[in-house]
Amino acid sequence: MLQEADIGVGISGVEGMQAVMSSDIAIAQFRYLERLLLVHGHWCYSRISSMICYFFYKNITFGVTIFLYEAYTSFSAQPAYNDWFLSLFNVFFSSLPVIAVGVFDQDVSARFCYKFPLLYQEGVQNILFSWKRIIGWMFNGVISALAIFFLCKESLKHQLFDPNGKTAGWEVLGGTMYTCMVWVVNLQLALSISYFTWVQHIVIWGSIALWYIFLMIYGAMSPSFSTDAYMVFLEALAPAPSYWLTTLFVMIFSLIPYFIYKSVKMRFFPVYHQMIQWIRYEGHSNDAEFVEMVRQRSIRPTTVGYTARRAASVRREDRFYDQIHTDLVAF
Amino acid sequence: MPSNTASSSSAPAGSADSSSSRTKSKRPKYSKFTQQELPACKPILTPGWVILTFLVISVIFIPLGVVSLFASQDVVEIVDRYDNDCVPTPARANKVAYIQGGADKSCNRTLVVPKKMKQPIYVYYQLENFYQNHRRYVKSRSDAQLRSVKDENQIDACKPEDDANGRPIVPCGLIAWSLFNDTYALSKNNQPLNVSKRGIAWKSDREHKFGKNVFPKNFQTGNLTGGGKLDENKSLSEQEDLIVWMRTAALPTFRKLYGKIESDLEKGDTINVILKNNYNTYSFDGKKKLVLSTTSWLGGKNDFLGIAYLTVGGICFFLALVFTIMYLVKPRRLGDPTYLSWNRVPGGGR
Repeated sequence: MLQEADIGVGISGVEGMQAVMSSDIAIAQFRYLERLLLVHGHWCYSRISSMICYFFYKNITFGVTIFLYEAYTSFSAQPAYNDWFLSLFNVFFSSLPVIAVGVFDQDVSARFCYKFPLLYQEGVQNILFSWKRIIGWMFNGVISALAIFFLCKESLKHQLFDPNGKTAGWEVLGGTMYTCMVWVVNLQLALSISYFTWVQHIVIWGSIALWYIFLMIYGAMSPSFSTDAYMVFLEALAPAPSYWLTTLFVMIFSLIPYFIYKSVKMRFFPVYHQMIQWIRYEGHSNDAEFVEMVRQRSIRPTTVGYTARRAASVRREDRFYDQIHTDLVAF
Repeated sequence: MPSNTASSSSAPAGSADSSSSRTKSKRPKYSKFTQQELPACKPILTPGWVILTFLVISVIFIPLGVVSLFASQDVVEIVDRYDNDCVPTPARANKVAYIQGGADKSCNRTLVVPKKMKQPIYVYYQLENFYQNHRRYVKSRSDAQLRSVKDENQIDACKPEDDANGRPIVPCGLIAWSLFNDTYALSKNNQPLNVSKRGIAWKSDREHKFGKNVFPKNFQTGNLTGGGKLDENKSLSEQEDLIVWMRTAALPTFRKLYGKIESDLEKGDTINVILKNNYNTYSFDGKKKLVLSTTSWLGGKNDFLGIAYLTVGGICFFLALVFTIMYLVKPRRLGDPTYLSWNRVPGGGR
């Protein structure tokens, strides 16, 4: 039975370890099941869906900027960035924050997961990983990439960016675009999560700082290794105020659409866990009657397993009224 | 978190054997990190924060935009396209044949200074539809060869411009071979204007990428002439035109620094340019332009940053107002789960 189920939970105890050996998750006492499901189950679902959506977003942002640049190189496959920049994007400059989200993020704290057990339904109803959300994040990636590329290209249009009259070459455009991109993807993550511990602060701001440090170290290496990135930051980019102004502008501009979307959603169309965040913010969570009222009004008849999946797919086909009644009778 | 410690503090009692002697507790050592109870900041997007953010952005961006726009407006720029006009009328039917022929290609152009230009005034040449960022072109160079004499034979990446009759070309590659070779001699009111050609390349290029002991050899000796010739007695680190040209441009329309004028130009001055129209951009419909420009702290004449900052600052201010009105007009009772999607329809439904 444990092996037939989608997830089998075994309890290790006086009767031996046989259940534990054939289960996916082992716990020590039966009452730990409540925490396993309500707290860790909900967190796991929320973290993984955030992580995957964000992963698509950042790679799409990265790839689409390179693709857009190809249109200006007559599609000759000349990348917009130096080779090492390309390789290290997914290693140093944007990987740790997303791992921190996937491992540590908590949209509501454990206490609230117990208080509002219906948060678990977010997973059953597939609210946080619906196609709408995935496509929405991908679209966000595309518009971020469009903003980054075209704004950087326009601000360097005639390559006159330096107060000393020198012109901007390929490495200056690449360096500017890459800087904007590192800022945008990291700030986007900071905007989309609502749980900041020292871990998140270190990885997000650290990744951004690491980019500048890397530029300086890589630029200081001998030109036979760093080729066109040799001294690009210290000599060309950093002394030019237009570089800093462009970076600031692009990072704010790319995030405004998502910011508007999130503000409107949070205030006017909040999802269940966002409602819980509002309840916590307004201090109603200590009011036992209020909490009980919220729980009661959230309850809906649910089904499990095959029946739940069929009901969910049937809802998508807009024939849910009759089917829900049928399912309830069967359940 | 009281409820968590309450649920786990009874573990020792639970793990005690039926013999009721206190066995060693198997509870793992508590730490805030492993129990995921680190002190955390949990910000949410309240109306106050949203409006404040938009206002702060507009307060920062609008002055930045104004300052940038003023800086760009202060720059004086003269752009003169000469590639069509500098081909004499009888030759205009077949410009490619003209440019490849041996006729004298001098051309006289006149520029009028619209506003006072303070020194240093930079002279650029602008090329359009020239894909210096094409991958095969960008790869066609040998950095090792440019740096030191002993690496003269590292010419693999430079094909087809790698050797002449078995002897290596220095500097090899298509980038060097296509060196821009129009020249400009400027004069103001019949007094020649000195265009300084020193210091036009980036310092790191001159000192670290182009060797002081490397001299051009066998350069531009083949049947196909791609561009300018190089003085064999000057080391590569002094050939600033070559160094500027070899920093490949990012976009198909680009400018490169030709020289600096270190004296002021008054409004209304007539600048006479005697240029040699040597470079062949006619085979690929490219354009050539001569640009004289001053710079500001922001660079050249580019209104884009100023206008962009002002626009976004204005939009953010407008959004702050819109959100204020929205929050005042439509107060929503929060924490009321009847707004949940699966509760809106009786019996469920999304």
